[in-house]
Amino acid sequence: MTPSARAVAVVAGGLLAGLALVLAHLLTGRSDLPAGEVVRALVGRSEHPAYEVIVLDYRLPRVLVGLGAGALLAVSGVLVQAVVRNPLAEPATTGVGAGAALAVTGTLVLWPGHPLVYPAALLGALATGAVLYVVGRRSFAVAGVLLGAVLAAVTSLLLVVDSAPIGVVLRWLVGSLNARTPVDWAQLWPWLVVVLPVAWLLASRLNVWALGEPAAIGLGLRAGPFLAVVLLVAVAAAAAAIAAAGAVAFVGLVAPHVGRLLVGADHRLLVPVSAVLGAVLLSLADLAAFSVSVQLPGLATDVSGVPVGAVTALLGAPVLISLVRRESRR
Amino acid sequence: MIIIPDCSVRSRPHSRTVLVTVAATALAAGCLLAALCLGQPSVGPAAALAAVTDPEHPLRVAVVEVRLPRALLGLVAGAGLGVAGLLLQDALRNPIAGPELLGVSSGATVVVAAIVVLGLGVPLALQPWLALGGALLAGALVLLAIGRTRDPAHVVLVGAAMSAACGGLVVAVVGLGTQGNVVVLFRYLLGSLAARGWPHLETVAPIVGAGLAGAWLLRRRIEALTLGDEVAAGLGVPVVRTRVAAVGLAALLAAAVAAACGPIAFVALLAPHLARRATGTTSTRRVLPLVAVAGGLLLVAADLAARRLLYPVEMPVGIATTLVGVPALLLLRRRRQPRPAVTG
Repeated sequence: MTPSARAVAVVAGGLLAGLALVLAHLLTGRSDLPAGEVVRALVGRSEHPAYEVIVLDYRLPRVLVGLGAGALLAVSGVLVQAVVRNPLAEPATTGVGAGAALAVTGTLVLWPGHPLVYPAALLGALATGAVLYVVGRRSFAVAGVLLGAVLAAVTSLLLVVDSAPIGVVLRWLVGSLNARTPVDWAQLWPWLVVVLPVAWLLASRLNVWALGEPAAIGLGLRAGPFLAVVLLVAVAAAAAAIAAAGAVAFVGLVAPHVGRLLVGADHRLLVPVSAVLGAVLLSLADLAAFSVSVQLPGLATDVSGVPVGAVTALLGAPVLISLVRRESRR
Repeated sequence: MIIIPDCSVRSRPHSRTVLVTVAATALAAGCLLAALCLGQPSVGPAAALAAVTDPEHPLRVAVVEVRLPRALLGLVAGAGLGVAGLLLQDALRNPIAGPELLGVSSGATVVVAAIVVLGLGVPLALQPWLALGGALLAGALVLLAIGRTRDPAHVVLVGAAMSAACGGLVVAVVGLGTQGNVVVLFRYLLGSLAARGWPHLETVAPIVGAGLAGAWLLRRRIEALTLGDEVAAGLGVPVVRTRVAAVGLAALLAAAVAAACGPIAFVALLAPHLARRATGTTSTRRVLPLVAVAGGLLLVAADLAARRLLYPVEMPVGIATTLVGVPALLLLRRRRQPRPAVTG
């Protein structure tokens, strides 16, 4: 099968899987709803208003935000890896997650309980991206990690001074899809509509850039503006995803990696394939996180409601190891 | 014993190294004294020394039971971290290697967090060794990933990914605990010397001492590694064994410190760079004592600042070292290297 045929197959399969995930999410939850009731609630014909609230206001936004944030993280990962020319980079490498967390913490410390959290996260992430572009020209990877460390330290400092928002901020740092509302989805989907096509339009230039900077410049690519645009799109995608779901680790690393295994390094195929894979990956991990409920020895209560970021970290570690093995063999 | 000629890249008179080391030691002693004097209540140096020597002194508890072990722990932990950084940087020939960027610290943190949050009841003396297991595992994975590359960006990316994985694990562990554990957990994500007493010092000091002794014994071989694997092999140094030993020692040092103080970042990265800059030599064996002293000095001074700057709120020292360490590291690295043309 040619890579492009495989890409079509992967995208089609991914869309089917996404549909199955939506169904699975709608059917599972704390309260046990029969399938017929779920369908009736979806089309607005349920006789129980409570069912409509559960399905339309709790379950549907959660799965949609998960799918959308996963796609954005994966595309951001593709772009960051292309800029850094290293398959081990991911959106977190740019420090935007730490920037978003700092902005959220600052907002919560200054105005407790204020609904400014979403714009704060978005602006914090975007501002971090801007700083990175200015200071990181020499090595985006090193600068991003160091920038992230400094921002995280300032966040911790704020939390030491005022420890009230710790719970919220930790969930941001890890990433959680618990308690998403229709508002979250309304804030997320415009980003999907804008960022994903733009990333795809950049794909052929990313292929040229992958040849190396001298070759790319020789082929007529203007490195400065090109890098600025790619970084902007990558940061915007990561910022939108992080503002909606928190800084979920490894989706932006694993989805492009699996995508490369399936369709190769051509970015025109890699961008859509990674987006689909990221969406499925995050939503699947969320389903697992949501369904897990185990009794551990030594603990009083059942373990449940684990943030999805913890699950992706657990799943991501073995993938990281295999990735690393491949890298070291090269 | 293998005799290796003096192979410093920029050799300067040895007296400068001795001079700088003595000056740093004096500074560290001054910081130690200041750490004993400052606090609530603050006293003069004479009163502080009197409290140390006189068992009946009214400030005996504050100075000897609280301030002294904390300051000594800072010295010991800082020395251990500095030498860990030196071992990693020279054995891997990577200027940006350090336990915090190689995932070693975060591997240890996972274990410590699990012990604390799950209330496993592991005795204090055993904790560094369990933490060492986590540190070695994370460090081994990262080293496997890095392979033969010396590209700092690659190293940083692998380390960051490992730290992210460990961070996720820590949060997963905390998610297992009760709601009240969140604040406790948060404290364990930050390196701090607060509320550490003699038992912590007694746990860490022997391990750090052993680690420093090991580094001293290996100093010539590691210095040979800085010349390149082929040259080192030509000089009769077992390259792989030396590298593994150096990394293992660094992991031991970092794990011992992380078990007692949590992840304190950037002391390990910064101390060797500062020492090399101050002495003008890159020779491992020459800067080794200074790196230990400089690490201790950095950590005690940072802890002093962390205690006093925002008084009455106390800043965990890990925050202070990061806020100071990153800009300092960037400055130190910027002057040394010419700007490469290629981004990456």
